[in-house]
Amino acid sequence: MSTLLRTPLYDEHVALGGKIVPFAGYDLPVQYKNGALKEYTAVREGEAGLFDITHMGQVRIEGKEALAFLQYVSTNDVSKLVDGQVQYSALLNEQGTFIDDITTYKISDKAYYLCINAANRHKDVAHLQQQAVKFSVTVTDDSDGTTLLALQGAKAQAALQALIDIDLESIAYYRFARGKIGLNGSTSGGIISRTGYTGEDGFEIYIPNSFAVSMWKALLENGAVPIGLAARDMLRTEMGYALYGHEISDAVTPVEAKLMWITKLDKSDFIGKQAVEKRKGEGAKKRLIAIKLTGRGIPREHYKVFVGGVESGEITSGMYSPMAGGVALAYVKPEHAESGAITVEIRGKQVSAERTTLPFIRSNVRK
Amino acid sequence: MSISANLKYTKEHEWVRIDGDTATFGISDHAQAALGDIVFVELPEIGRNLDAAEAYAVVESVKAVSDIYAPVAGEVIEVNALLEAEHEKLNTDPYGNGWIAKVKMSGNSDELMSDHEYAVFLEE
Repeated sequence: MSTLLRTPLYDEHVALGGKIVPFAGYDLPVQYKNGALKEYTAVREGEAGLFDITHMGQVRIEGKEALAFLQYVSTNDVSKLVDGQVQYSALLNEQGTFIDDITTYKISDKAYYLCINAANRHKDVAHLQQQAVKFSVTVTDDSDGTTLLALQGAKAQAALQALIDIDLESIAYYRFARGKIGLNGSTSGGIISRTGYTGEDGFEIYIPNSFAVSMWKALLENGAVPIGLAARDMLRTEMGYALYGHEISDAVTPVEAKLMWITKLDKSDFIGKQAVEKRKGEGAKKRLIAIKLTGRGIPREHYKVFVGGVESGEITSGMYSPMAGGVALAYVKPEHAESGAITVEIRGKQVSAERTTLPFIRSNVRK
Repeated sequence: MSISANLKYTKEHEWVRIDGDTATFGISDHAQAALGDIVFVELPEIGRNLDAAEAYAVVESVKAVSDIYAPVAGEVIEVNALLEAEHEKLNTDPYGNGWIAKVKMSGNSDELMSDHEYAVFLEE
């Protein structure tokens, strides 16, 4: 891509002191003027954080075979969804490795809405359209017209409820409401789901681009704090949530990525199923583990991980957590997943670490 | 962006305060602002001999790992151990409590910029 895209909120980010960086083909704020740590703290300690995640893609799947189509192209069991429910899932290729991870929104048996990663958008849409020829279904890329905001943190509901007629209290975790959103005297269709990527209670808000600036400003007026990419990555890593290009890619299957819980081998045939069954039988090639440094330092992506003094793998996401210290997700050899002394190589030195469980800190999602 | 008077500066945005043959090293306000929130500092060992422009410390912000270079040559005689626990001092007080190390100088500081020259350099 020769030029970077901008979301409808670009000018707002600049006006708020956003430090703009290239990300997934977009110019986006890595942080605003008060810095990533204050943004992180706002979300973790009781405020409402507001994220422009418009770069993410949205795809409508419509037609009388929409359910059958999604059962075939995605790993989770879409037949388990009720209208108004959201499901975490994945698109695999025939080799059983990841094309993308997605969320599936069920509007009805004949209409679904997918949220996909920005960097994978064109690849995903091409794949879905190619597969769609075998089904009575249409695949429509809605990304360019849709603004997606995430509002995360203890005050998210209060900040949003004051603006809209939809009763947010009635939206449970991983459920959504679809309907008219009224703002400043005008109304528009939109989707509000109780979902997110931070481990805090909150919402993701899909609105037409024409509504983006007024919604953004109204939420800030209601006390929301703008959050950049750096704090967003801290918040997701603390939860151990996988990120495409890090924990998941076209080089690993759900068996390696600890995502068999969204891969339903007992449902009807789907792309990649045979390969995943085979891999499951043979055993994972490598395993994803969560580690915490006990020595000084910050574990970072691509740092080498040693077990019992032997190089075993590398970190896929690592960070300094204000609450948990140096924490990371790493792939290691299968025989090293459960036992053996772990060290991380930082600038040529071995720094001691230990295995831990996810999430690294307590999740506050409303389950 | 503040520039402290009576210090000398490098093009890598380090400062040095020279007092007899002792030099105190730190990073400029511009440097800390560009790095963003600092969350980890790795200090040099006492007794280490540094060449001018040698990487002697590591500063990590939320997103990045940055080497810090010695403005002048010398032997490390003291480090600011406060930074191991209170790394944010590099952001909040870069010319004061955010100093990084002191060396016994073995070279000269002729190549360094004055505060006025550094101000001009930042403008460019």
